[in-house]
Amino acid sequence: MIGLPALLYMVLVALWPLGQGLYYSFTDYTLTRPGRVNWVGWENYTDMFADPSARRAILNTFVFTFAAVGLQLAVGLGLALLLWRESRFNRIALALMLIPVTVTPLAVGLMFRAMLEPDFGILGYWARVLGLSPTRGFLADENLALATLILIDVWEWTPLMALILLAGLKSLPTDILEAAEVDGASRFQRFWRIIVPMLLPAIFLALVMRSMDAFKIYDSVFVTTGGGPNDATNVLMYHAAKIGLEFFQIGAASAVSTFMLICVGLLAASFVLMIRAAESRLGAR
Amino acid sequence: MKPSQTTSRRMALGMTAGLGLAAGLATGRSAVAQTTAPMTLNMACMNDPFATVLVRLAPLYAQRTGVRVNVDILSYPELLSRITADFVGRTRNYDLSTMDIVWAGQFAEAGHTIELGPMIQRDSAEIGLDDIYQAAILGIGNFRGRQIAFPFAAYVNVLAFRRDVYERAGLQPPQTMEELISSAQRLTDAPNNMYGWAANGRRGPPVAQDWMTYNAQIGGSILGTDGRPAINSPANARSLTVYRDLFRISAPPGAVNYDWAARHEAFRQGIVAQHQIWTISIPSYENPEISRIVGRTGIMLAPTAAGMAKRYGIGGWGLAINAGIDERRREAAWGFVKWASSAEVQRQFLDANVGVFTRKSVVNDPALRARFPFLSVVDESLTNGDADFRPRIPQYPQIQDLLGTAVNSVLVGTADPQRSLDDAQARAVRLF
Repeated sequence: MIGLPALLYMVLVALWPLGQGLYYSFTDYTLTRPGRVNWVGWENYTDMFADPSARRAILNTFVFTFAAVGLQLAVGLGLALLLWRESRFNRIALALMLIPVTVTPLAVGLMFRAMLEPDFGILGYWARVLGLSPTRGFLADENLALATLILIDVWEWTPLMALILLAGLKSLPTDILEAAEVDGASRFQRFWRIIVPMLLPAIFLALVMRSMDAFKIYDSVFVTTGGGPNDATNVLMYHAAKIGLEFFQIGAASAVSTFMLICVGLLAASFVLMIRAAESRLGAR
Repeated sequence: MKPSQTTSRRMALGMTAGLGLAAGLATGRSAVAQTTAPMTLNMACMNDPFATVLVRLAPLYAQRTGVRVNVDILSYPELLSRITADFVGRTRNYDLSTMDIVWAGQFAEAGHTIELGPMIQRDSAEIGLDDIYQAAILGIGNFRGRQIAFPFAAYVNVLAFRRDVYERAGLQPPQTMEELISSAQRLTDAPNNMYGWAANGRRGPPVAQDWMTYNAQIGGSILGTDGRPAINSPANARSLTVYRDLFRISAPPGAVNYDWAARHEAFRQGIVAQHQIWTISIPSYENPEISRIVGRTGIMLAPTAAGMAKRYGIGGWGLAINAGIDERRREAAWGFVKWASSAEVQRQFLDANVGVFTRKSVVNDPALRARFPFLSVVDESLTNGDADFRPRIPQYPQIQDLLGTAVNSVLVGTADPQRSLDDAQARAVRLF
């Protein structure tokens, strides 16, 4: 009985809307004619996979998520290790480093768009003039636009990744590390055999949090490229928002959202499996 | 209302808002037929320059009628999604809303807003229908004869050009599209960061809407005479080729990712010699805090292809009333619509440097003409206005999206104009 309020909360706040979304994904529900809702079976899903723009959005979303989160993990872990030692400089550096995290993604997108604009942006103009960027600028080049968005995301969210990993590092028992050092373990051995296995829960938390967030990338795409050039930066969330909020095709948008939910679920599950595999492999050594 | 109260109110208003404002309000009284019982209406309002002026003027309406109007300023996508959710969910958060010219088809089909025809007919004398440009009445908020929003702010597509740049080059501003293309090429001096022309190239609504404007001026049309998509017609393919070539030869390199804000910024920064704009943007060029081209801009009619009939694109906003509210609130909302779209209030918008032109008497006012010389361009454009260069049909959002990707892919060089439009056409016909 004690768990009943939590269960009710789950049903009302999480499960019921999810179920409603799932139901809509099998209908042709459209806000411009709300009185007429017909069951269309898998049509919204087959339409989504038949649409080249949606297929490109799926690919872009996965590329964006893996590249952005992968880079954030690598750089974030490096930063966390650098800031691990307790010192005044490190505390100040950490505080300054967290500034990008506090800025809303929409503002970050607008800021980078203004800076990277090749005709009058402070970075974009000189990059173009010096031949460091394509003539159209980073955001209007089909080969570089997605990579640029990935780097913008890395700039914004790496500090959060570093913070989570740093918290993990600070919670490690120092006696084990000291004992390993006394026993003559090299820095690499200590890192790979002791720090990484013990840090896996923090890595898992950071990966799941950031992957779920990166998979739903919307704001920076909306303000920097609008999904272009062509479909180069079209991502699933942007695609779903367009169908739902511009075309008002709630059924079709729900299908995209349900697909995203399944993808995020699989992504989280795969991280659990990866972490478990890593734990057992490292533990066996 | 007692005469003494009226007099003191006029005096108070005159003290706070100046003589001009008081005079405006005094005549504005005629637009409000009856004083309504005190109530508060909520209005969802597009975040265009008129919004802040409306917020400032709304209390004056409350003083006169007892009807307070809370103006909630929203961005374009936010406005559309909020009012749609409100209308569909029947939550009645908003009594009134600004409605974009291109939403008419969707909203008419859904029946979210009330049909204003009977009210317009009832109050036609009070409204002064003859004073409103035909293009505004037939274009803004009107879908196949049903008036589901009342014309509030008509925007006119005009050509903004740099007088100094044209003078230095010894050229005359373009009268036709052919002259515009030629002058754009001649005025381009890329090594010195000067480009002859700019338009939106960014994927989605920015590039779709700009191309549709030029497409109509070159002789193309998105729909055929049968009302069905004719996206891949030879005329449209030709116009898209012209548009692409203008980008390649005369536009700033970053223009393929320009939206409205970036294009205006490029013009204000002084790197673009000319571009087509909605009249609502004109004042920003004369603001020295954000513009490097103060006093150097000319405004003229948007050129069309040689030999084409006069055809000037118009857009803008209507005021619509939520169909879910009760009769009493509807009448109160209608009272506000009449007041906000009256000639007297439009003058006050102009006093605030915001042009919401639907009234002939305002546009042709000699005193205002002296202050705003471009009003002659507005008059000519509205007299020959074309509200349908963007098809005002329920399928418009999807068509705009298809064009937004098709045209952008041509500009970035991944598709040729005909093939790209063929693809868009094939997908558009499935919507009908």
